[in-house]
Amino acid sequence: MQTLIDELGRLPGIGPKSAQRIAYYLLKSPAEDANRLAGSITEAKARVTWCQRCFSIAEGELCAYCQDDRRDSTSLCVVEEPRDIVAIERTHEFNGRYHVLQGAISPIEGIGPEQLRVKELLRRVESEEVKEVILATNPNIEGEATAMYLGRLLTPLGIKVTRLASGLPVGGDLEYADEVTLGRAFEGRREVEA
Amino acid sequence: METPPGTSVARVELVDFRCYESTHLDLPSGVTVISGDNGEGKTSILEAVVWCALGRSFRGVPDAALVRAGQEEAVVRTFISAPERSRKIEVGLRRTGRNKILLDGKAVPRLRDLIGALRVTVFAPDDLALIKGGPAGRRTFIDELLTTINPRFSGVRADYEKVVRHRNALLRAGGRVNSQSDEGATLEVFNQQLVATGSELLEGRLQLLNQIFPEVQLAYRELAIEPVVLEADYVCDWATSGPNETGLSQTLTREELAKTMRAALSALAGRERERGTTLVGPHRDEWALTLAGLESRSQASQGEQRTLALALRLASHRAVAAAFGQEPVLVLDDVFSELDEYRSAALVERLAAPQTLISTAGPLPFGVEVAARVCVANATARVQ
Repeated sequence: MQTLIDELGRLPGIGPKSAQRIAYYLLKSPAEDANRLAGSITEAKARVTWCQRCFSIAEGELCAYCQDDRRDSTSLCVVEEPRDIVAIERTHEFNGRYHVLQGAISPIEGIGPEQLRVKELLRRVESEEVKEVILATNPNIEGEATAMYLGRLLTPLGIKVTRLASGLPVGGDLEYADEVTLGRAFEGRREVEA
Repeated sequence: METPPGTSVARVELVDFRCYESTHLDLPSGVTVISGDNGEGKTSILEAVVWCALGRSFRGVPDAALVRAGQEEAVVRTFISAPERSRKIEVGLRRTGRNKILLDGKAVPRLRDLIGALRVTVFAPDDLALIKGGPAGRRTFIDELLTTINPRFSGVRADYEKVVRHRNALLRAGGRVNSQSDEGATLEVFNQQLVATGSELLEGRLQLLNQIFPEVQLAYRELAIEPVVLEADYVCDWATSGPNETGLSQTLTREELAKTMRAALSALAGRERERGTTLVGPHRDEWALTLAGLESRSQASQGEQRTLALALRLASHRAVAAAFGQEPVLVLDDVFSELDEYRSAALVERLAAPQTLISTAGPLPFGVEVAARVCVANATARVQ
């Protein structure tokens, strides 16, 4: 029992109390339910691997986005984690390819460029027909540092390198925007097109 | 003390906070005096109110220490009455796990979104450390005033501190993280971020000091028995270029400050690697205050140091009032026991706020008009 609670407690976002609640729930539920959960974890772990091209999650050699021929190979969007792809896909704004770094530069945690899929990114930019790289790392210190680092590597290669804009959330009121976001939005203001 | 209209705390409720199992107080505007023997929980009431304003204890203790013995959660509710609208802050402080903060019944995800709902100025016996203690306390004083007046800086400050920690980790690892081939490219990126966030913080500090130092001088003259010349110098030991080598002129722009930082980073690169820590930037700075040319930290008398500490608090109170057109609630924690009659009277005369909360074990200085008295005994507080 304690082993189960400890294991559950190691999951992200699950504290000791939640772990206990889930453990009791599992023990009370029918054996087939618990087995199905255990089975799906084992199966996912066995079948899902890293996409050989973009390092997102994939069920074969390549992920669904890398296999899709209709996508535009000239533009490449660099993200930290596979879940960021899901967020960008929801916008339907981007039809290019992805590259997942599997993290961001964070010296505090001992993560430098070599712990990320940076070499693989450079190889792709050199061997594929990439014309634009969009740096879509998170707008925090680590994400900005990573974008800056990649910008310095990629710009000399003669391709277009862009960074996602920071600014106001759409549909919200200016009054309720926090100062940092509003300050960034001021910095990145654009001229109104006449 | 005058009582101009403005924001005040109309009611405070405490559940399992410090020694209080459950108590509530309805507070009028004007002066409320909380009296009682030592150790009965006078300061705890002030501490609870101030938590709702600052998001932390002004006594510098961790939140877990505020939860009553044997309990898991302490709850503080403050009802704020203001000319434009009344607000309610509810705080759940947990022994383990995240605190819960509700503003007008809505969850506040980040602490910094709470800041500004209630503004307070706290005078406490520990303020002496502002003058007597090391530079860190004075930097915190400047930065907290800066973030109160301009909340954008709470983000700048947090970012800057994060960058310094990353950079220190990088320097300790010899400039490269788990790598054989990184030729300083990662360090260069963090240098750039250190300069960007550091120069922004520096500019904010220098502009603020320019603006409030005349106020500090004025407050000092008002409170001192025999005022002498008070001067201040913002000292950057790391600055290798600039008008006077180590001091920064207070009129430098962010661009010029960034240039100064970049120059220092290249000049001190070797020593930073040797020491494995960030030696350049506003986290190393000192705001040196001198009285009649003598360093106030080490060469002023205790009485002068206390006067200067009061002057800093009074000036910051006025600066916040001027910035928002509204006086913060004044919180005086056991201040008069440390002050002589002259300084107590001088302080009382200068303090103006719609509401003042005073805790004291002794008598009040002459001339204080009291609106309510709260008596604290046996873990209960009652308005008399």
